[in-house]
Amino acid sequence: MGPCDNALPLCVRELTFRYRIREQPALRNLSLDLHQGELMLVAGTSGCGKTTLMRCINGLIPRSYRGEQSGSIRIFGEDVRGMSMAWLSQKVGTLLQDPERQIVGSYVLNEVAFGLENLAVPRHEILARVDETLDFLGILKLRDRETFSLSGGEKQKVALAGALAMRPQILLLDEPLASLDSASAQDALALFRRLADSGVAIMLVEHRVEDVLRIGPDTVLYLRDGEPAYFGDAEGMMQALDYHEVKLPAPVVFERAKAQPAPRFEAAVKPDGQETLVSFDHVIFRYDPALPDVLRDVNFTIRKGDVVAMLGANGAGKTTLVKHALGLLKPTEGRVLLEGRDTRELSVAQAARTVGYVFQSPSQMLFAPTVSEELAFGPRNLGHDREQVRRDVVWALDVVNMRDYADSPPLALSFGQQKRISIAAVLAMRSRILMMDEPTAGQDYWNYTAFMDAILQMPGFDAVIFITHDLDLAISYANRIVLVSDGQIAADGSPAEVFVDETLLLRCRVVPTSLLKLNTEKLPVTGTFMRAELLAHAVA
Amino acid sequence: MLVTWRYRPRGSVIEKVDPRARWIYSFMVLLSLTQFWDIRFLLCFLGVVLVQYALARVTWAETRRGWTFILIFAVGIVALNTLFTGRGGPGEVLQGGHVLWRTDWRVLGLAIHPTITVERVWFAVSQIVRMVSISGLFLIIPYTMNPRHYGVTFRSMGVPDRFAFSMDLAFRFVPTLARDFNTTLDAQKARGYEVEKLEGGLIAQIRKMAPLVVPVTMNAILSGEEITNAMDLRCFGTRLRTWVHELHYRRMDYVLMGASVVVLVASLVVRYGLKIGTFWVPGWALAWAGG
Repeated sequence: MGPCDNALPLCVRELTFRYRIREQPALRNLSLDLHQGELMLVAGTSGCGKTTLMRCINGLIPRSYRGEQSGSIRIFGEDVRGMSMAWLSQKVGTLLQDPERQIVGSYVLNEVAFGLENLAVPRHEILARVDETLDFLGILKLRDRETFSLSGGEKQKVALAGALAMRPQILLLDEPLASLDSASAQDALALFRRLADSGVAIMLVEHRVEDVLRIGPDTVLYLRDGEPAYFGDAEGMMQALDYHEVKLPAPVVFERAKAQPAPRFEAAVKPDGQETLVSFDHVIFRYDPALPDVLRDVNFTIRKGDVVAMLGANGAGKTTLVKHALGLLKPTEGRVLLEGRDTRELSVAQAARTVGYVFQSPSQMLFAPTVSEELAFGPRNLGHDREQVRRDVVWALDVVNMRDYADSPPLALSFGQQKRISIAAVLAMRSRILMMDEPTAGQDYWNYTAFMDAILQMPGFDAVIFITHDLDLAISYANRIVLVSDGQIAADGSPAEVFVDETLLLRCRVVPTSLLKLNTEKLPVTGTFMRAELLAHAVA
Repeated sequence: MLVTWRYRPRGSVIEKVDPRARWIYSFMVLLSLTQFWDIRFLLCFLGVVLVQYALARVTWAETRRGWTFILIFAVGIVALNTLFTGRGGPGEVLQGGHVLWRTDWRVLGLAIHPTITVERVWFAVSQIVRMVSISGLFLIIPYTMNPRHYGVTFRSMGVPDRFAFSMDLAFRFVPTLARDFNTTLDAQKARGYEVEKLEGGLIAQIRKMAPLVVPVTMNAILSGEEITNAMDLRCFGTRLRTWVHELHYRRMDYVLMGASVVVLVASLVVRYGLKIGTFWVPGWALAWAGG
């Protein structure tokens, strides 16, 4: 690449960065140009340097994170290292991975006004710009709401409004879809496209590559171990990258997989439809008498052999429902039976012998000095003997591909690794039923496919339940689909029964994917739903 | 993410008062109240606090947990300090007095002779009244003060931007910590952890709290860092900032602040000018103890 053009919003040349506490550089020899109105997708495995690239551009490196940097980053011809934060933040808006981590204002108005207040913009102008931004994003009605009471999708838009109110010309979006249901993700993506079309230069870091491809990114940068493995248009990327590494559109995988040997996947949990493990009997639940019902007359049974995918909008009540099975929440009315016993009569610790539950956020449970000790905590609490604990810890580490980290402190690992440790910590308890809340959020495709394959092929579980926003994950692994909408079960049945009703899916904010369409097309031949690689061989 | 206290508009008189006037009033009453040990004066202040409480339209259900904590804390501290060690009060409580009960306990080989006197009991009662009054004065603030105004309140009282915004964040830190603690407790319970079954000596018990304390502390530190980053990215602290909300004093605010100053001055005059209001034990109590 030649020298930087001063009119370019962003120009990166030979950028290398190493964090002071690490031996290896997080980014190596990266060069790119980002034009006005261009939407660039940046993808890669966990720890490939995506976030580091953003931090170098928005000034958090070197302001908050120290290290060695070489090469240059120019914004409209100016080197960012010489720029003040005030100048930089008016040019570059950043949306962090989790809007929860970004929102500082207690109310929407305060949040969106925050940056403008700091720039000492006059009050009347702040109010005008806040309203204008909220209106542009279609969320003016949220203006006087408390930020923490918003849904995931709303938080995302409010955080974006906070950045946009400062009228940046470059927008950095760090995995903005990670916590959104598929309909909210589609809305957000359409919005990013609209922003790019209005002239903002956008760099969008995202694991959900296939979703982003739908809005037609102008360029794609794929990073592997801190180095660019691909930089070009979207069409070329589909040819250049391995479909095991990145989730590509199903028809592409379908065609390419035909030439590969058939993958082996044999689920160990198989439906037998006999023994009832958990049953919900007319369950109504509300957190507070003054608040509306979160669960509204839920009747639902988990039987031996079920692999249940629970889908639904942000805030539909999925997590609340699952927490009832373990007795973390007790029904306001009705009852929940775990192996025939009312959860009101059981302590959570007793219920944990039957149900292993992986929480959404790993940082809320990791505490031990080493990964091994972390994993041994649960089984020890359950009174397993020492030899069994040792065996189960090793087994669980193998399942999540983290054996090399047995002696590392879990708190020092990356988010994706912590998530896998939190899953392993529950696996080691050898519960009959495994429940996982968003097991793949923030994970790269290769890693989550590997551990989901391992978990479901491993004998030992009587039932597996996972909450997810990823429809393709449900298609690939579940033998039973539960759609939750507004505190009620909107549909419950086999994938073939539930997924054929597109109107119902959309009502539950589940957007059909290319894999769903492909499966529906081939359903007369296959009779069931499966991932694209298997489908390629099933119809051959 | 930081959550706010459970504020909801209640249409009470208290909410109509400017938050700055409320802070000034609260601190003036606090200063006045702490001049006294005489329970007759303290009860007057308790009366003021109760009136304020009634005007705030805060329900018992909302504040029950707060009060339970305060009462346990107050009674615990008072029982330990006043009754047994006799510390933390005016000198006359420490020595002598009318004995109600004398003991001869041995703890870990040490002889302990807590002597319960009428003076100490009365002092304990006075101290509890004092603590409850102070707590009541401030307890209703989060329930009745609009969280939008936390920062700007301190800013327009002359505090620098950074400090004013820190106060805003600090207020929201407490309920956030409570929420995180509950999430972690649930997550560990799901791993078979039973906090009720803490056994062993003090050190062993503290070690067994690690599964709760470590994640909550680490999360607090990390989220602090995240908030700092998010604030940096939007130029916080680069220049004197605008505050989007404005506060305006009204006549009732001036009246309240004026009255608070009068109460403070009056209290100082009574206490140091007239030398009234020091620790007092009613005659009947002394007579009952045989004094």
